[in-house]
Amino acid sequence: MIRLENVTKTYKGGVTALSGVSIHIPKGELVFLVGPSGSGKSTLLRLLLREELADGGTVWVGGKDLSSMGKWKVPQLRRSMGCVFQDFRLLPNKTAHENVAFALEVIGRPRHVVAAQVPQVLELVGLGGKAHRRPHELSGGEQQRVAIARAFVNRPLVLLADEPTGNLDPDTSRGIMKLLERINRTGTTVLMATHDATIVDAMRRRVVELDHGRVTRDEYRGVYSYGA
Amino acid sequence: MGISVQYTVRQTMSNLWRNRLMTIAATLTVAVSLSLVGAAILLQQGVSRAAGVWKGGVQLIVFMQPQASQADTAATASLLASDSMVRSSRYVNQQQSYVEFKNLFAGQKDLISAVTPADLPPSFRVTLRTAKDAGAVGARLGGRPGVKKVAYNQAGIRAMLKVTGALQDVIVGLAVVLLVSASVLILNTIRMAIFGRRREVAVMKLVGASNWFIRVPFMMEGLVQGLLGGALAAIVLVGVRSGVQSLVARFQVNALNAVVVPGHEALLTQLLLLLIGSVVGAAGSALAVHRFLDV
Repeated sequence: MIRLENVTKTYKGGVTALSGVSIHIPKGELVFLVGPSGSGKSTLLRLLLREELADGGTVWVGGKDLSSMGKWKVPQLRRSMGCVFQDFRLLPNKTAHENVAFALEVIGRPRHVVAAQVPQVLELVGLGGKAHRRPHELSGGEQQRVAIARAFVNRPLVLLADEPTGNLDPDTSRGIMKLLERINRTGTTVLMATHDATIVDAMRRRVVELDHGRVTRDEYRGVYSYGA
Repeated sequence: MGISVQYTVRQTMSNLWRNRLMTIAATLTVAVSLSLVGAAILLQQGVSRAAGVWKGGVQLIVFMQPQASQADTAATASLLASDSMVRSSRYVNQQQSYVEFKNLFAGQKDLISAVTPADLPPSFRVTLRTAKDAGAVGARLGGRPGVKKVAYNQAGIRAMLKVTGALQDVIVGLAVVLLVSASVLILNTIRMAIFGRRREVAVMKLVGASNWFIRVPFMMEGLVQGLLGGALAAIVLVGVRSGVQSLVARFQVNALNAVVVPGHEALLTQLLLLLIGSVVGAAGSALAVHRFLDV
């Protein structure tokens, strides 16, 4: 589903974010991406979303080579992916329902599809009763659930999460992680960059560690760090 | 992938309402700028009309000898009638000249009593198609039998041509400068409005909206704002026109009658303002949203 081969990314000013990174993530896997700040996790996610292009190597998502993909095809690519961020990125003047519906409307889904799917996915993330609240009327955990609903409503092949529990307390984080695991069980590939050692250690799933732009560890049933 | 009309209309309307302060700011910017542009265009039209009327009113006076023969007078008349540069000519005989003379020097009894109709030359009052031909027509008639003198205010004509020409250039230049600054103002207002909504644009990009899908509602918004502004400016122009008209009528400045542009010509200017408003609004939005799309 996701394949990186010898990927290099250097920013202007000579900062090397990724050098010689090769990772293969088959369909349906759940992978934690760990490493200190500045190790290249976010850059990797940005490359997968094609917000940026790699300087060297190749990035494939869903069998498509992103470096040779025309700019006009990028929206199509992003429709097959969902994204969740630490800061939720909800639109503050829209309700939970509207925020999720927005994701379907802007890709041109007909109204009856939107009307049918949004309540369903809000139910799935456990917010069935809070569809008409605005983000500021929801807790952090609830806001992140709205964001996950928005990312998942389009049934993406891949779900990318950039420190989705970074702003949440441990209990809430566990709830969010359970939700992501549930989404993973529907066959969605999940790649989650995180600093949350408790969650990674509790889940014992595949862990890829980056340090200074290089893959220093890639193990199944892994933990957050050596010696833990 | 088609862009649903229903979605676009709904999105445009709700965005206009949600950002009503910015909508008002942008609309008023367009309205004020285009009012100035429109007023300049109207003024230009007025001056150009007036110049035409004044130039058309320029007369050449062909004075005949007081004792010129009937044949000479008739020959001169037919010459004027067949000249393509001449719009019309009118013969003023000695008796009519005397009446004019009396009116002109009404206060000076001595002068009037000293002159009889027989002393005054009959003349042709010639109206030309364009003032520029005064010299040519004058030269052609100058040496004819029976013609005493051709009088025309050459320096005056030249000066007027120069003044109206320069005035028109200045006004056109002013309108262009106003239009450019109006465009920049409008563009900036729209940019600010879109900057306030960059989160929305970012989310749209994230969930895979196509660039056109993002652009079109913004362009529709700009179009509506530009159109509203243009309409306001058109209304202002109606007021300006009738204001000038009533001023001219009140102070009976008949010479300035020509400056008042007739309603149907002003309508054309008003339509132009609507067009400029909507084009600048839509294009400005497209340009402003452009830099937020390139992610």
